[in-house]
Amino acid sequence: MIRFFQNRPSAAVASLPPGVAVGAPEILPDVEAELAQYLPHFSRMSEQLKQTSKQIESSVVEVCNSFQGIAERAKEAVARTASFLSQAGEGSSDTQSFETLIENCSGTLVKILNTTEEAGEVSRRAIERIQQIDKASQSIGAAIQQLEQIAEGNKILALNARIEAARAGEHGAGFAVVAMEVISQTERTQKVNAQVSELILNLRKLAESTLNDLQRMNDKDRKRVDQCRLEVDDSLRDLQSAHGEMKTMLTGITEEGALLATDIGAAVRGLQFQDRTSQRIGHVVEDLDTLYAKLATRFGNGSEVGTTSDKGFSDYTMHEEREVAGIHGTESSQGDVELF
Amino acid sequence: MIFEGRQQSEVFQRVGELRKVLIVDDSVSMRQMVGFTLRQGGYDVIEAEHGQDALDKLNKLANAMVDLILTDLNMPVMDGITLIRNVRKMPTMKSRPILMLTTEGLAAKKEQGKAAGATGWIVKPFDPDKLLQTLAKVLP
Repeated sequence: MIRFFQNRPSAAVASLPPGVAVGAPEILPDVEAELAQYLPHFSRMSEQLKQTSKQIESSVVEVCNSFQGIAERAKEAVARTASFLSQAGEGSSDTQSFETLIENCSGTLVKILNTTEEAGEVSRRAIERIQQIDKASQSIGAAIQQLEQIAEGNKILALNARIEAARAGEHGAGFAVVAMEVISQTERTQKVNAQVSELILNLRKLAESTLNDLQRMNDKDRKRVDQCRLEVDDSLRDLQSAHGEMKTMLTGITEEGALLATDIGAAVRGLQFQDRTSQRIGHVVEDLDTLYAKLATRFGNGSEVGTTSDKGFSDYTMHEEREVAGIHGTESSQGDVELF
Repeated sequence: MIFEGRQQSEVFQRVGELRKVLIVDDSVSMRQMVGFTLRQGGYDVIEAEHGQDALDKLNKLANAMVDLILTDLNMPVMDGITLIRNVRKMPTMKSRPILMLTTEGLAAKKEQGKAAGATGWIVKPFDPDKLLQTLAKVLP
């Protein structure tokens, strides 16, 4: 700047414009012309700053809108998850909790398995009884064999009696009739014995066949019940584990939602830089306009419309501005809250 | 957290009706950020661009419906301090809380606000949680 000024000669004092002190540096005419030429740049710079400030504000408004949408959706997701978790945890009058459902399923399956096991136990008892019946049939068979031997003995005895009766002649005739009758009775007994033996044999065959069927069924049932019990236990364990994982995942979603809310809160705080920046730019614009008005009044060619030079420079409203300007005073920090 | 349910229940006064807050700020983005925070906290929000706009809206709304005013300090047309002085003249707004929310932290300015009838002073940038806590504190 120094090179544009020169010491005003005392002879020229009389021609000084009003307000210019004697001894003040004089501005060369060509510099005056140059300054007048640059004057429009002040208003352009001021307009550029205003538009920049507006653009930043629009962007921040858009970002804030997006955050609003994110927050709304997160809020909804958290609320839905919380409701689902509380329902799953406590149940209500018309719905059952997952724990209760799993418990009920488990109870029902255990009942079915127990009933099947009881049926198996009944068939085992039936097998034992049939085995007992078979043993009894064997004993009856042995007894019939003894009866057969006795009958055979009686028959031989009756034949001997007939021989002795024949030897006795007329006196033994009655005895011979008795002996014949004994033989006849013995033969009838032997026939009945043979029928009973056959019946017992058939009975034993039937018992053996039933026994085999029951044993096969019982073996299969036992294996099937054991297998089912293992499968049901595994499935219930898987179901409980899946439910636990789902609960953990949903709790995670709730926590994530809360963290997101905190992050959005921090972003809202961060975005407020725009307000401060905008104010600072506004003050610079005001000062540029004031400077422009003052210079236009002094060096302008009269074409600057609406300019006024009597406006002072802006009052700073923020700590950072005052610090740059070297103004100090007692003031609160950013984010401070004071209730009167 | 800015959207915890408990805050919503705390700010309910009339059954089925949310507390109404009038936000006065010449910055669109600030109005939006404050409005977003308050809505998430369970408040109903009305916005005004400057002091005079706020007075017009209060008169239109029959002012009894506004539970709290949150105003900036430096605004065109009418600043925050002048707004408070005018609002305090309204019979129904005499005891309603008015909080200043401004970048200005100078003690002398705070004294002016206090003298005009402000209930409290918050220096921007605000912390959303802290702002909601302050509102809950000053609203009876």
